Order: sequence, then structure tokens, then C-alpha cells
Amino acid sequence: MITLEHISKWVTTAGLRTFLLKDINLTIKEGEFVSIMGPSGSGKSTLLNVIGMLDDADEGKYDFMGNQVHSMKEKQRSQLYKQYIGFVFQAYHLIDELTVYENIETPLLYQDTKSTERKAMVGDMLDRFQMVGKKDLFPTQLSGGQQQLVGIARALISSPKLILADEPTGNLNSRQGEEIMELFKKLNEEDGVTIIQVTHSEKNAAYGNRIIHLLDGRIEHPR
Amino acid sequence: MFKNYLKIAWRNIFHHKAYAAINIVGLALGIAACLLILQYVNYELGFDRQHARKENIYRVIQDRYDNGKLSTQWAAGAYAVGSAFKEAFPEIDDYVRLNQAGSQVLRRGNDLIKLENPYFASSSFFKIFSFPLVKGDPATALKEPFTVALSETLAKKLFGSVDVLGKELKVTGDRIYKVTAVYKDMPSQSHMHFEALFSFASFVQLIGPDNNPDNAWNWDGCLTYLLLKPGTDPKKLEKKFMAVVTQKNGESLKQYNADVKYYLQPLTDIHLYSNRMLEAGANGDGKTTYLLMGIAFFVVLIAWINYINLATARAISRAKEVGIRKAVGSQRSQLIGQFLFESALLNAMAVALAFVIILAVVPLFNRLTGQSISIGQLGGGMFWLNFLLLYIAGSFISGIYPALVLSSFKPIVVLKGKLVHTTQGSYLRKGLVVLQFAASLFLLIGTLAVSKQIRYMKKQELGMNIDQTLVIKKPIVVTDSTFLNQLTSFKNSLEGQSGIQKASSSTSVPGEPVGWNAGGIRLLSQPENVAKQYRVIGVDYDYVDMFDLKVKAGRNFSRDFGEKKGVIFNESAANQIGFTKPEDAIGKDIFFWGDTLRIVGVVHNFHQQSLRDAFEPLILRLFPDVRGYISLKVHAADVKGSITKVEKEWNRFFPGNTFEYFFLDEHFNSQYKSDQQFGLVFGIFTTMAIFVACMGLFGLASFTTLQKTKEIGIRKVLGASVNSILKALYQEFAWLILVAFVIATPIAWFAINKWLEGYAFRMRPDTITFVLPLLVILLVALITVSYQTIKAALANPVHSLRTE
Repeated sequence: MITLEHISKWVTTAGLRTFLLKDINLTIKEGEFVSIMGPSGSGKSTLLNVIGMLDDADEGKYDFMGNQVHSMKEKQRSQLYKQYIGFVFQAYHLIDELTVYENIETPLLYQDTKSTERKAMVGDMLDRFQMVGKKDLFPTQLSGGQQQLVGIARALISSPKLILADEPTGNLNSRQGEEIMELFKKLNEEDGVTIIQVTHSEKNAAYGNRIIHLLDGRIEHPR
Repeated sequence: MFKNYLKIAWRNIFHHKAYAAINIVGLALGIAACLLILQYVNYELGFDRQHARKENIYRVIQDRYDNGKLSTQWAAGAYAVGSAFKEAFPEIDDYVRLNQAGSQVLRRGNDLIKLENPYFASSSFFKIFSFPLVKGDPATALKEPFTVALSETLAKKLFGSVDVLGKELKVTGDRIYKVTAVYKDMPSQSHMHFEALFSFASFVQLIGPDNNPDNAWNWDGCLTYLLLKPGTDPKKLEKKFMAVVTQKNGESLKQYNADVKYYLQPLTDIHLYSNRMLEAGANGDGKTTYLLMGIAFFVVLIAWINYINLATARAISRAKEVGIRKAVGSQRSQLIGQFLFESALLNAMAVALAFVIILAVVPLFNRLTGQSISIGQLGGGMFWLNFLLLYIAGSFISGIYPALVLSSFKPIVVLKGKLVHTTQGSYLRKGLVVLQFAASLFLLIGTLAVSKQIRYMKKQELGMNIDQTLVIKKPIVVTDSTFLNQLTSFKNSLEGQSGIQKASSSTSVPGEPVGWNAGGIRLLSQPENVAKQYRVIGVDYDYVDMFDLKVKAGRNFSRDFGEKKGVIFNESAANQIGFTKPEDAIGKDIFFWGDTLRIVGVVHNFHQQSLRDAFEPLILRLFPDVRGYISLKVHAADVKGSITKVEKEWNRFFPGNTFEYFFLDEHFNSQYKSDQQFGLVFGIFTTMAIFVACMGLFGLASFTTLQKTKEIGIRKVLGASVNSILKALYQEFAWLILVAFVIATPIAWFAINKWLEGYAFRMRPDTITFVLPLLVILLVALITVSYQTIKAALANPVHSLRTE
């Protein structure tokens, strides 16, 4: 599904190149549940953003489901991305001015889904996450765990093939964190959704079936 | 999708009420001001557009030259022009002649009704101009001698109905005219306003068979309008006029060393761009109109800049939303659409509010400015077009930049909270604020300059005394042999009254253009070809004394000398006839239309008209029994009593005549009415502009101080005093205003001087004119930002630093 070849990314300050990612080679198959681990500043989030097409690599090839991402224009990339990828953030990133219902609905608006269809899809999603009663609340009226559930619901609404989660449980207490992880596991096993998560926690990483360790922008290969 | 945009826009407005209010009210004020001005401007620009053939109608105007020097510019010209040009040039389809019919008085039983501004018009009048007839046939209406066309209002006033064809009117000199047409009242947006039009054929009959207008090249006063064939180039045509004039009248012109040039003036240019002698009525002023248009633009620009400033300043709080939207699949174009939509929504609310504001202030606006914008007029197509244009332009102009900025945010940057304000953005915001204040300063300087010029004109020594002067209009009695005697006895009887110091009659009084222009005047000793044109006032013995004119050389007229053939020149006239020293003119004889008159004195130049106009060469010609205005100098102590006395005498001498009078100083100052109104309009819209600019500044100050909360906190922890922090914050805004000042001053300087060119006597814009606005704006701006800055400076740093 995903093939990264010699991916590098850097910033130049005062003529010095600092590598954020260096020569990353990585293949992720459909249906995998991958956890990316590493200390702060090791490039985990950057790698996730590059995979999620929110960020460009400076060098290397990126093949996503047969598409040469590195040579695509922003518009095509955006097309590809909104069709296949859902994003879950540590800070949830819900739009404060929109209700739970409307937040979940937003990706569909950008995919030009018909109104009746949208209604049905959001309704299903609310059912599935048992949030029907909360659909008219605004994000600030919810607990962190509930907000993250909304964030996941929003990521799932367009039935993505790949979910990218950047420390999804980072702002949650352990019980809420476990629930989210269980949810990911279920999505992966029952619905066949590919999941890539960035995490600090060994425990969360263990939910996945493969762990990638990053250090200073490189993949550490198990010795 | 739009529903979603609408929702989020609405909630944003709702959750940030102050921000939205500043935006909406600011925009609404700007739009309302702009629309009001545009309404007026449209009105001024829309004159004489009702004529179906307006594109092909031109007026023949003339410039007169004496000895190769331009002397006078006329709306009217020689009578022969129309027929001669028509004959010579096939491009001319038709022509119409119009000339003043003088003062015409109608008799209705015992009542006397004076016609305002009646004209003779030749028979093609209703064919060339599209003034619709209520009764009568446009082709034949003014064909026959002694026929008359009446306006609907006059017909109703005279006969109580418009069914008046064939009825007879008895006018001055017991002449009978037959009504052949009734026309709809001429619209206010027309440079012609005639109550009644007598047929030109009547005029031809009245002047007798010896005077054929078709050959009259040497007497002026005829307005000639040409209807050109479609496609004719007026510039090319007017170049060919000279040949005809030379052929027909060259000899005579040569004799006087004079020259006449004829030009074509488009009908639709007359109202705004024509201010010549013998206009058919007072015209508008194109310069003022375009200046107002500029102001309208400035005001709305300031409001739009507010929106841009506030929207970009607020960008940081919207950044997260942008990041999320991009992360869930929005394209940039969709985000641009969303933000444009928001601006469209805010603008929609603003135009709605603007409409309410306009409805509320129209009566006040009219009263203050003397305009007559009616609510009904607001329904006009032009109004809605402007409304729509302002809305669309406003939505786009104010919306596009914030939309571009907001939609450009990179999601990973904003979602990680790494977005700090860019220096580029803050420079732009500062630049826009500078622009706003430059515009405000420009307007304020302009307001000051206008009021200063008006004050200057009013304060200036007029060279005469017009205080405590009561002027009575001459009676409209039909002339009979005893009239002159009666007028003299009336005057004499007044002079005997207590409370009345002086009395004098004259053909003109100060405060209005002199109606009598005489050409061909020269010293008796001079050859004919140096004769020139002069303005002439017929006066009695007491005129110079009455108005306290200062004799520079020679003497005043005097009954003791028993002279009947004397003239007094003003300095300009003495100069024009060839004397550099006024003393030299005394005792010289001049040639005045066949008469020989002696110059007995030269008076200092005095302001016959407002200080807008230069001194003109003026001759006071003595007519001991002149009929015209009667001016009375009354005692200040009992003005009311004097008026009563005068009225009693009036009724004794002229029974049946209305007693019409005015005070000369008021009459004189009424010349400044349009200037004052212009100043007022300028002032009103300047205030609005500054208010709107300050609203924006207030909003902006809240955001910048918000951004600086942390900096202020750190400074305070490091030991800065509240004062030093305030100083730093104020300094920043003060700098912006100083930069604005540097930009606005030269532009204002240029504009003021350009505007002052229209005034013969003008004040010199001084430092205060420029510095005072700067101080005012500085003060207003500092007060505006104070609320925010003081709050920020006083805040406890513990709070601001903890929020990190």
C-alpha cells in the first residue's frame, strides 16, 4: 500500500542542513497496524505527516496505492488523500464553532456527498460511537475522551483505507486511552483498515502488529 | 456546503459580537455615506438626459476677444448663428433659438403675475428637445407670432386647468398671446426651467421688419442649439465655423479689432461644465461633484480596509479551523470560497444596515445640505445599481485578501500551534492603517481648508458698505408715462422718513452678477478697433454714497454740476481703457453706444460679487431717474419700524403690488450658500470617515495588544513601569499617523490649491490647516487605543505569563 524509498527531509538554518528524516525506506501493506515509536524530535510526526501528505519530503520516492505521490500536484494529492486517508490528532482538532454532528460531517462536504447520503452516514457513525444524544453539543462541552471519539468518527466517516493517528491518546487518561486503542484494534481486525500510529507508550504500541523505531530521523533496524 | 459556510459564518459573528459589530457598523456607515454621495453625484451627472436626441444636440457658445485677448465667454451668441450655420453646413439637421423675453407681467383681472425667466423660443424647440406636451402639437406650437406655450403648473395657476389651447394671455404692453401648447413641467434635472415660452416669431414682429435676426451678427444674447445629423463629429464641424463668421461679419470685427470664436458644447455638458454669461439658469459645478465622488470613494475605502485589517488580525484564531479543514480534505479554493462567503455575509448585513441608516438620515441630510433626495428617488435604478455594485465590490475587495491569507496556512504548522504572526502580514496591516489615516487626514485638511476659505471670503473688506441696507425690488407695474415720476416721488418720500438715512436706485445691487454688459466702449480719442467690453450699472446720484464706495481720483456724481452724462469707472475699468494712473482718466470723454460720456471719477475696486469672482471692469453710468432696485440705509435701532413705514409708502404709491424686499448683507452672503453646503457635506463625511477609521483602529489595537500581552508581561517582570509600556504602545500608533501625515500633506496641498483655483480671491493655506488635523487625528487615535493599551499595561504579568 505504502512504499517509501530514500525519503529525506531537512531544514536549513545558517547554511547547515539538519535532517528531520534521513533515507527512510519503508513498506506498509494493506491491513497492517503499525506503531511508530521514538524519543521526542526523532521525526515520528514528520514521517506521519509525509505519509499523510500534509507535508512534502525533500527527496525520495513515495508510492501510495500505485500513485507516485512525490510527483503529484497539490490538487491531485488532495483528491487522493481525502479519498483514502483519515487523520486523528493528539489535540483532537475539532472545529469549535461546529457541533459534533457537523464536525463529523465536514469531510463529506469536501467530497461532495449528497445531503441525504450524508445524513445517513453521519447517523450511522453516531450510532456506532453511541453519541446520538450528543450530536448537537459543541466540542467544548465534551470531555477529552469524547472529543477524541468525535475526532476518530470524523476520520472514519469517509471510510478511509488508512488511518493516521498522531499520539491519539496523548491527552487522555489511561481508561479513555484503552478504549481508543481497543477501537483501533477492532477497526483494523474487523474492517481491515490500515492504521499507522505515533506513540510514546509501549503499551499502546503493543496493540499493533509491527513497531518501527525512529532515532534522529532514521529507522532503527532491529539488530 | 453553503449551509455549512453559513452556519460557521453565523456562529463566528455571534461568538465575536464586538468584532462583528465593528465590521458591520463600519462597513454600513461607509456604504451609507458612499451611497448618499453617489445619489447626489448621480443626480448632478444626470442632467438633460431625458432628451431622445441628446447625443446630437449641441449649444453654440462664443468666446469674445478684444485685441486678440479673451474678454468674455458667453453661453449666448449672435442671432444669425443658427440660420447661417444651418445654411452652410449640411451636417446640421435643425436649430433652435432662445432669448430672454425680459420681465413679463400677466394681467389676470386685477392681479398682476410676474413670470419667472420667460424666454422666446423658435418653432423647432419641441422637435429638438423632448419636453412632452400635455396639450398641443409639437410641430406647430411655437410657429405663429404671438403664441405661447405654458408649463402645466402655470396653466393650472392661470386657468385652473390644462385645457387652455386657444385661450388668450395679456402681457406687458397689453400684447395678446394665444396659448398653443401646454408642456409637462421641465424636470429639475434640466438646465432649462421655463415657465412660459413665447414664440420667437413674436420677437421678430416686435423688433420690426428692419431687424432681421438672420442677419444679426452684431447683437448678442441668443442661445442657439443645433441638432446635428447622427455621426457628425462636432470638433470637425466647429472648426469650419470661423470661415462663415469671417465671411458674414469679418469686416465689422476687424473694424473693432475684435474676434469671436464659436464652439459646440454638448447638451449634457452644460449643467456641470458651463458657467458663462447669459446662461439660461444657474448651473452646477463639475469640480465639486467629482470632489464629492472622491470623498465617497475614500469613506468606503476606509471601511473596506477595516474589514481587511480586522479579518487578517483575527487570522490566528481562525488558523486552527483552516488547518483542520485542510486536514480533512478541503482544497484551498474551497477555503477561499468559504471566507469570501463570510465577507459576503458580513457585507450583506452591512448593506442592509446601510439602507436603514440612509432611510433614517435622508431628511437630515437634505436639510443640512439643501439637497432634495427623496425616499422615492432611492428606488431609482441607479441607486440599486450602486447598491449592488458596492455590495459585490465590497464583498470581494474586503474579502479576497483575508481569504488568501487564511487559506494559505499549512495545516501541520497551524495544528501544532506553531503559527505566529508573520512580519509580512503586520507590515501590510500597518500599511493599511497608514492608508486609512492618510485618507482621514486628507479629508480633515480639506474640511479645514474649505471652511477657512469661506471665512476668508466673508471677512474680507468688500470695498463698500452693505450693512443695514434694505433693498426693495422694483414694482411690476406695467409701464406708463407717470411711472418714472412715481418711482422718484416714492424715493423722495422715503428719504424724508425718520429711520432712513439714505436711499438710492440702481439697475444692480451688490451680491449678483451685473446684468448689463456693453461692448464697443472706448475713449473718444481712441480708434474704433481698441473698443472693449465693460459691465455697466445704471445708478442715480446717491449710489456711491449709499454703498460708501471709495473715490480714488476725481469726484462723485453731483447734482450741483447738473451733469447728466457722467460715468464713474472702477480701477479695473480705468486700467482696461488705458490709464495706469486713475487721475489721468478724469475728465476724459468716452464713446458709449453713440453717446459721449465724461469720466468724473474713479473708485477703488469693490466686490460686486462674491470673492469667487475677480474684479471686473465696471462702469457706473449716471441716470438720475434710473429704475431698478431701491436701496435704503436704515437705522439699526428700529429696522422693523422702518420696514413698516416703507411698506406703507409702497402701498400708497403702487397699490396692488407685492412689497418684496431683502437685506443686502444677507443677499450678498447667500452667494456663499453653495460653498457652505459643500463645506458642510465635506465635514459630515469626514467625521464619518474618521469615526469608521477609529473603529478599525480600536479593533486592531485590541488584537495587537492581545498579541503583546506576553511581551508586556515579560517587560513588567523585568521592571518596566506602566508609563514606559504605555509610551511604547502609543509610540507605535503615533508613528503610523505621522507616516500617514507625510503622505496626506502633499496630496492635500495639491488638491486644495486645485480647488482654490476656482476662487479669484483665496486664502493661503497655512501651517495650522495641516498641523491641526494631525493633532486632532493623533488625539482621537490615542484615545481610541487607550482603553486597550491601558488595560494591557496594568494587567498583572503573572496572569499573562502563566497562560504560556
